[in-house]
Amino acid sequence: MAVKMFAAIDVGSYEVGMKVFEFSPRREMKQIDSVCCRMELGKDTYNTGRISVKKIEELCQILNDFVRIMNSYKVSAYRACATSSVREARNHLLILEQVKRVTGLNLEILDNSEQRFLDYKSIAFGEKNFYKIIQSGTAIVDVGSGSIQISLFDNDKLVTTQNIRMGNMRIREKMADLVRHTLHMEEMAEELINNELASFKKMYLKDRQIKNLIVAGDYILELLKKPMVATDEFRATYDRIIDMRPEEIAREYGIPSESASLILPSMTIYKRLIEEMGAEQIWMPGLSLSDGIAYDYAQKNKLIYAEHNFEDDIVAAARIIAKRYQSNKSHIRNLESLALAIFDKIKKISGLDARQRLLLQIAVILHGCGKYINLSDGAECSYSIIMATEIIGLSNRERRVIANVVKYNTFEISYAEIMNQPGITEKDYLLIMKLTAILRVANALDRSHKQKFSNVRITVKDAELQIHVDTQQDITLEKGLFPPKADYFEEVFHIRPVIRQKKTL
Amino acid sequence: MEMDFTRPEYYRNREDSWISFNERVLEEARDKNTPLFERLKFLSITSSNFDEFFMIRVASLKDMVHVGYTKKDIAGLTAQEQIAQILKRVQEVVSLQYSTYNRSILPALKQQGLEVVTRHEDLTEEQAVYADRYFEENVYPVLTPMAMDSSRPFPLIRNKTLNIGALIQKKGEGKKETTEFATVQVPSVLPRIIELPCGEGRAVILLEEIIERNIGKLFLNYKVACAHPYRIMRNADLTIDEDEAADLLKEIQKQLKKRQWGEVIRLEVEEGMDKQLLKILKKEFNIRGDDIFHINGPLDLTFLMKMYGMDGFDKLKIKPYTPQPVPALMEREDIFEAIREHDILLHHPYMTFDPVVNFVKQAAKDPEVLAIKQTLYRVSGNSPIIAALAQAAENGKQVSVLVELKARFDEENNIVWAKMLEKAGCHVIYGLVGLKTHSKITLVVRKEEDGIRRYVHLGTGNYNDSTAKLYTDCGLLTCAESIGEDATAVFNMLSGYSEPKHWNKLALAPIWLRDRFYELIERETQHALSGEPAHIIAKMNSLCDKEIIAKLYEASAAGVQIDLIIRGICCLKTGIPGVSEHITVRSIVGNFLEHARIFYFHNNGQPEVYMGSADWMPRNLDKRVEILFPLENDRIKEEACHILQIQMEDNVKARILQPDGSYEKIDKRGKVLVCAQDYFCKEAMERVKKPKDPVRDRVFVPAEPASEE
Repeated sequence: MAVKMFAAIDVGSYEVGMKVFEFSPRREMKQIDSVCCRMELGKDTYNTGRISVKKIEELCQILNDFVRIMNSYKVSAYRACATSSVREARNHLLILEQVKRVTGLNLEILDNSEQRFLDYKSIAFGEKNFYKIIQSGTAIVDVGSGSIQISLFDNDKLVTTQNIRMGNMRIREKMADLVRHTLHMEEMAEELINNELASFKKMYLKDRQIKNLIVAGDYILELLKKPMVATDEFRATYDRIIDMRPEEIAREYGIPSESASLILPSMTIYKRLIEEMGAEQIWMPGLSLSDGIAYDYAQKNKLIYAEHNFEDDIVAAARIIAKRYQSNKSHIRNLESLALAIFDKIKKISGLDARQRLLLQIAVILHGCGKYINLSDGAECSYSIIMATEIIGLSNRERRVIANVVKYNTFEISYAEIMNQPGITEKDYLLIMKLTAILRVANALDRSHKQKFSNVRITVKDAELQIHVDTQQDITLEKGLFPPKADYFEEVFHIRPVIRQKKTL
Repeated sequence: MEMDFTRPEYYRNREDSWISFNERVLEEARDKNTPLFERLKFLSITSSNFDEFFMIRVASLKDMVHVGYTKKDIAGLTAQEQIAQILKRVQEVVSLQYSTYNRSILPALKQQGLEVVTRHEDLTEEQAVYADRYFEENVYPVLTPMAMDSSRPFPLIRNKTLNIGALIQKKGEGKKETTEFATVQVPSVLPRIIELPCGEGRAVILLEEIIERNIGKLFLNYKVACAHPYRIMRNADLTIDEDEAADLLKEIQKQLKKRQWGEVIRLEVEEGMDKQLLKILKKEFNIRGDDIFHINGPLDLTFLMKMYGMDGFDKLKIKPYTPQPVPALMEREDIFEAIREHDILLHHPYMTFDPVVNFVKQAAKDPEVLAIKQTLYRVSGNSPIIAALAQAAENGKQVSVLVELKARFDEENNIVWAKMLEKAGCHVIYGLVGLKTHSKITLVVRKEEDGIRRYVHLGTGNYNDSTAKLYTDCGLLTCAESIGEDATAVFNMLSGYSEPKHWNKLALAPIWLRDRFYELIERETQHALSGEPAHIIAKMNSLCDKEIIAKLYEASAAGVQIDLIIRGICCLKTGIPGVSEHITVRSIVGNFLEHARIFYFHNNGQPEVYMGSADWMPRNLDKRVEILFPLENDRIKEEACHILQIQMEDNVKARILQPDGSYEKIDKRGKVLVCAQDYFCKEAMERVKKPKDPVRDRVFVPAEPASEE
């Protein structure tokens, strides 16, 4: 393998940065260059709802310079991502267009869940102790400018991940108007956070033991000076800096003074979380979104090997949602194995890939969650739940595909209705049809939710998808309801599923 | 009890210390062991040094007086007190300058067959004819005599020019005689020294003598009563010294009118100038007292540098030294390969500057090189480095050059070639607002088989191939990853990006360097306090930072042995009981200008050696971008220690600072003579000889075909 150069560009809320990485067979992944430029795009967005023309010009100028640097390293691939400041700006499409026109860069907007997943990847790859840490209760806290992402791990598994819309820049801007009225910013900041935290604690934390807090924010490492501290050390630093002015902090800790103003709200958030969770150790891997982008690229291109299976995290997050809505666990398990077996068998015919397999799996896991709300209108409710629930690692578009698959599992597919939804392309429509066809067939096989089809072998023969089932039970119900599903499947894939019952004994 | 190491009496006024430095240069001119023509050179340097001193330092002090700036200096003196003290001392040194010229240099020159005709009245007939003819043909056409009378005001006399003032009276008419003032500039476009025909030996005369002799021809209807040369120094623009700049500029802005732009701050006149003439000058230039220098000899001795350049006197000059090849790079085609093998220490001018030029030249051509980045402060007029950078850009490399436009006296020059680089496609950065970029660093990024590799040159001197033959400087060529990463971060920072989260090896001014030096000095203090041996050796050009000096005093008081090798200004005083008893200061003034900055810290037996671009001066530590880099390779560390060691042993050109502030040569009785500069010259030649291969000239084969030039 030749040496590959990759650039990760992060258009953040208060900084625009680029890291250049080198992938070589011998040295794995190595950061070669890192440039970073202060630029408060978030200030525009959070105050006015849009990014000003002047700021966009400035951004393009910086990105042009990045392109020059990329060229100087003969970078062969790049990924440029923007986060909440651009995402939430009303003129975001114009921003992307302008960037493309002026710099030639394809800037993409990350959904919150994608962004947090990349942050999380950077930690999982970058923090050497990650696997050791998550053996016991661990929370990753990612304080962004606009929101906080909290992900809980226990026993090596992602338990939940929640987004609280209360980031450091949001707090700073909210406080900016009030600053004349009080000397104790930190108390007000605490009050702002407390309410949000209380519901999080009630819903998700419950009585879980959280020993470790992994902190993914900026400059916290500079404040605490080492990658891991005990709670009381954190507390001591907090007490010391909380009354300091940002300029003082900047000078004493060698932090860019513009960033220092964001540190106080961040520190307050950390402090409150530590108190609520009773964490004992605080870890600061000091990684950024750019690292996550690079790890993600490397992993997808098989340039590095990940010990941790990140798709498992996405699946785990989905299972937790299903559990919360009390879905039938054994039905889901059975359905998963059926649906994925069918998927794998017809892979050549369907032209679907591994990522789409994951979407199918999640659709299966979540297909029944709406019944928790309303038994007779389960599909519609499932759709709504999925659309309202962020799933870490999935983009909004992917989530929409899943929601539709779940919905049209029972409803008649409607081109018009699907295409009317924002961000859905014809390609997505096709994908929805394909996944729905599989889900319908699999679902029909367990119509009774009794897992009669537990010992199944699937083969493709001529134009038939033969489902060999080895069961003593009566499968009349399944067989009877099967033909319409099979019709649809045949229409989509040009191969007809048939049930072959083998009666041993 | 806590000692206060910052008391003014522990410090020496910086100007006073500087004058001592110029005295040391003058001593070289007076030293009969110095070859005669080298003495001319030193004498010339003392003169140009004083010019710069007045223009920068005295002008600044005058500004302070005008705006009522009351801050006292490091030694507790007000600006007014400093000026008085300075002028008194400069007057003394100037008279020593001229007694050297008249009593020692001129007779010696005559003895060697070169007669300087000091008065045009002494010309032989043949010479007089020649001189007059020279005047008519060459001088007269370019002269612009100007007179002052009731209708014409006093003319503008330009800064630093040599002029002849005269009193003239209208001829004839016989009425009451009115005397008028007239002046003519000695044209700077003509050579100051004119060789005369001479029977045996050679003879020269100065241009102003020829003009004086023929001055009647300029004022045809007048009788010239007297004519004498004079020269002024003005407080002109752009001369505020940055050490006071920030404070002072604020003050000046506050009281804008009080600064007297163009004010004459020094008047030099020929000794014995006509009283009436002098009175006019004094009145017109508004100057008096010690600001006026009565010169017993030709004004502006910098013409001696031209005299040094006269051919035919090579035996009276030091044989020019040819910088030697760098052993580690001999017979090497590929400088990058050599650097990959191990770090390379360069010691100029003993070793040639070519590797530094070749480093850039090769990078420009090397297909694997992706980018070249360099800081340029002062470069030579026709710099091969600039040519190579432009070439690299044309070859498709990414070339970033930081051009420091704020380099004193060089602004215009810098702009010219900065534009040229831009045209060639280089990315030119013009430095950071408010900070001069004084660091010397070059980064070459190469894409190699196993990935990106960065090659870095770090130096103590400018990327100037001409001065590299005269200044002693050090440089390091390395491809250590940690330094490469830092170098990338340096250039990112200089391009306006955020500073990196941490530095691996380098320490940078103005943010981190000062603290780094404190830490290093304090660490020695701690070792001394806990009874461990502690030693600092620091070599630099100037030491005048109060806080650093206080740290050194504290260290000395704790028992740290501190040996300083400081060529120029040193505001530290040695031998103060309880404060600086363990500090020695030596100054080496030799044929080459000592310019390297090397810092050695004993660190309890784990010595650390650093080099850098910064002196221990407030301006270097607080107002410039400077880089301090460690030497980590043991072999190179040893080499650097060896350099310091030999300088410490110098007993020929070294002078030791005495508690009374004087500098004294070392008693050589019973000692082997060591002249560090000669030693390094010889050593560099020895090292080159070492390989048995007799085909030594192979070394000198230019590294590239001529067509590339």
